[in-house]
Amino acid sequence: MLALIYFIILGVIAVGSALCVLLSRHPLYGALSLVVSMVSLAGIYGLVGSPFVGVVQIMVYAGAIMMLLTFVIMVLNGARDSKTPMFDKVSLFVFPAILVLAALLAFALISTPLAFNAETLRGSVALTSETLFNTSVEGPGYFLLFEVIGLLLLSAMIAAVLLAKKNLGFKETEEITEVH
Amino acid sequence: MELQASYIQIVALALFTIGLAVTLTRRNVFFVLMGIELALNAVNLSLIGFAKTLPAAASVAGQILPLFTIAVAAAEACVGLAMIILIFKSQESVDIDNYSNMKG
Repeated sequence: MLALIYFIILGVIAVGSALCVLLSRHPLYGALSLVVSMVSLAGIYGLVGSPFVGVVQIMVYAGAIMMLLTFVIMVLNGARDSKTPMFDKVSLFVFPAILVLAALLAFALISTPLAFNAETLRGSVALTSETLFNTSVEGPGYFLLFEVIGLLLLSAMIAAVLLAKKNLGFKETEEITEVH
Repeated sequence: MELQASYIQIVALALFTIGLAVTLTRRNVFFVLMGIELALNAVNLSLIGFAKTLPAAASVAGQILPLFTIAVAAAEACVGLAMIILIFKSQESVDIDNYSNMKG
């Protein structure tokens, strides 16, 4: 009963701040309501019994990604052209399509029998790390995926630096030598 | 009244619907990125909710998969924001309709 009350509170906060993202005009307000939505989602993760995913959600999503997004919005002054309308004209057709999709999925979800399993394991830090870094041959082998994720993050970082940089390094040095 | 597994899926569905609506209908390019992030969050919540309906070993798999989803979302946000900075330098606009001529 108490879990249901907590879940309703957190779920209402999450969906309400997601609606704020949809309806806010300034992108900075949208980003801050998105942070609220992500933090309450982390609370739901802890409530249903995966606290490690909740902590990672707060650290990576609400911390790193939204900090990056907020920083870029502030640097680029994202609300510069506030004269353009918020919604496209096409959204007259897009909103009913999305609502029909949601209604179909909700019908499928309600008609499916789902129940919590009593044997499910709590995703604590110890259990998650044991499963993630189980390097034995019989193990699930998640550590390989972990290495691939490390490579992906490294390549994304290099790509972002190369994209956002104005000129590549050697061009600037050529200009400097021409000046001299 | 106890917490049911389908309630989590309903909340995840609502969040995914709102994220899809934000992505497809807003004109500001930052809102498009935020809608994608919201939809990814909803998928994570759905994964956690389904993992709780499985027995022991399978439920751990369902709680590790969101970690990889979060890492991929971080990489996606990183590259996406760099591309936005790059396009913003040449277009001087955040309206996504002005980005339709990406020829050279």
